[in-house]
Amino acid sequence: MAVVTVDKLSKRYEGSSELAVKDVAFTVGDGEFMVLLGPSGCGKSSVLRMIAGLEPITSGTVSIDGRVMNQVAAKDRDIAMVFQSYALYPHMDVYTNLAFGLRRRRVAREEIDRRVRSVAAKLGLTPFLSRKPHALSGGQRQRVALGRAIVRDPKVFLFDEPLSNLDAALRVTTRNELIKQQDELGTTTIYVTHDQVEAMTMGDRMCIMNKGEVIQIGRPLEVYRNPADTFVARFLGNPPMNLLTGRLEAAGERPTLRLEGAVFELPDWSLTALARYRDRELTAGVRPEDLWETPPLGLEAQIVLLPVRVITVEPLGAETLLLLSLDGSEQELIARVGRDTALKAGERASIALDSSAVHLFDPATTKAIPRAG
Amino acid sequence: MGLWLGHLKRTPLLLFIVLYTIATGGPFAWVAAMSVRTTPEIFGNPYALPTHLRWDKFVEAWTTSNYGTYFWNSTIVVVTAVALVTIIGAMAAHCLARYRFRGRRTVRFLILSGMVLPPQLLILSLFQIMLDYRLYNSLTGLIVVYVATQLAMTVYILEGFFAQIPQDLFDAARMDGYSDFEIFWRITLPIGIAAIFTTVTLNFIILWNEFLYAVVLLTEDSRRTLPLGIMHFMGGHQLDVGMIATGLMIAILPVILLYAFFSETMIRGMTAGAVR
Repeated sequence: MAVVTVDKLSKRYEGSSELAVKDVAFTVGDGEFMVLLGPSGCGKSSVLRMIAGLEPITSGTVSIDGRVMNQVAAKDRDIAMVFQSYALYPHMDVYTNLAFGLRRRRVAREEIDRRVRSVAAKLGLTPFLSRKPHALSGGQRQRVALGRAIVRDPKVFLFDEPLSNLDAALRVTTRNELIKQQDELGTTTIYVTHDQVEAMTMGDRMCIMNKGEVIQIGRPLEVYRNPADTFVARFLGNPPMNLLTGRLEAAGERPTLRLEGAVFELPDWSLTALARYRDRELTAGVRPEDLWETPPLGLEAQIVLLPVRVITVEPLGAETLLLLSLDGSEQELIARVGRDTALKAGERASIALDSSAVHLFDPATTKAIPRAG
Repeated sequence: MGLWLGHLKRTPLLLFIVLYTIATGGPFAWVAAMSVRTTPEIFGNPYALPTHLRWDKFVEAWTTSNYGTYFWNSTIVVVTAVALVTIIGAMAAHCLARYRFRGRRTVRFLILSGMVLPPQLLILSLFQIMLDYRLYNSLTGLIVVYVATQLAMTVYILEGFFAQIPQDLFDAARMDGYSDFEIFWRITLPIGIAAIFTTVTLNFIILWNEFLYAVVLLTEDSRRTLPLGIMHFMGGHQLDVGMIATGLMIAILPVILLYAFFSETMIRGMTAGAVR
């Protein structure tokens, strides 16, 4: 059982006037897989290193199972970490790499041998036990790094972008391998990545960070469907969410949004909820998959047609991405449409928008405006 | 045609290598030839090849000319100094490369500034210090001076190499439970072994041939090192060229052996990139 709690954690690096991590707080439940997601330099690795005990904490606390760890040395926290560079000791063979941590902990020789061989068998490393890291492929090195963490049987696993040095194909298989291992072991895990696909597929929950602060914590699909602000909206999803500037108006009792060339009702908000934005500009967010070349059956009632001009057509095989501009304005948006689209660059067209899939954001604070009920 | 052009392009390089080899290897071959000739033979024709190989000159130099003692003194001084400077230098380099502590830059500057000061500048004050501490005319004194003079270069080379070892390795070892000294001993040293060999070889060659400090700080014949012993043959009015050449060959042998064994490791150490 291990619950990791991070409370008001801040970090200021020597020689810097700004905080690299600001008041970060979250709790990772026992056996939970938490992903820290954010662009490079957002402070997620600093948070991980403070949890690991590799970096002194400027303020705030890190506790494991209720015990504050701030003054506890890294080796006494019962945490294992997998590094981005794998950090395999280049002068030791795979066996010694796996056994190195156990030897220091004065585990009996027979027990070390048993554990190393069992982990090696589990990860398919048995044939490579006498090899040095430089004689292994990237994927094999990655598995040794994982094995070194598993063999210690720690309370908590920390992963610092462990897949970013692998090629695309290997990344997918290793990702699945990691998910499988974590399911089997059930060890509390904190996983740092800047790759949204990893965050979406691996995490029980994700914690999105930007500029040293936590922006949103939640289950991956929950966060994807309800981004807390425009940063999360743009960061999750590829291509990112389209952000358009519109004007909030009213048609009777219902709020409407006026975009260039179209006015439509916002079915999920009440006029009272949006009262302060009335007759003012708003940021509307639309995911590329909520734009249609031909509206699907059953959605007709909530479909709005936007007049657009096609700028570029990018056929990806399984689907096609259209870069469009709202007719009569400079605002650009991307639509993800079927692979058989007949649209060509330079053409004028109407693109169907699912009005129930629109997100609204306050243009000043960039925060999402919650849907009513 | 392409092959021809390739050869043509390489000609200047080959020419340079040949000339360079003659310039460096020539004098060596000349001294080697003289070492098995007698002085009258040499004065008769300095550039002639030996007609009769006089190996007995080596025995004579070793026994009657005290070369055995000089060799032994040199070995004690150089081996001890190199061992000490390697251990101290590696520890200092590890700390400078690894830890961000207050005053790090100053410490680094002070150590490395030792490289820019010419020995002639230090020799007077050093002489006085050695006298004060009763280290004058002793092998221990010379060892201390050698360690001090070679420390800067050793730290400079090792720090550059150690700094390239990824920080993750040290973090991983810390999480595995190893102390700072164990990390130095079990991670930095084995990974940096090529750089260590480089400094060992360089320091050995430099100190084995060192003359200035030795001539100022050692006066007693029984404590002289090899470079001083060779000078011994240069009298005021006569010059035993044959014996000097024999002495030089004895003196140079350990250096050649060391270089033959470690030259590849040394080059690897000096040109090594990041550890992968």
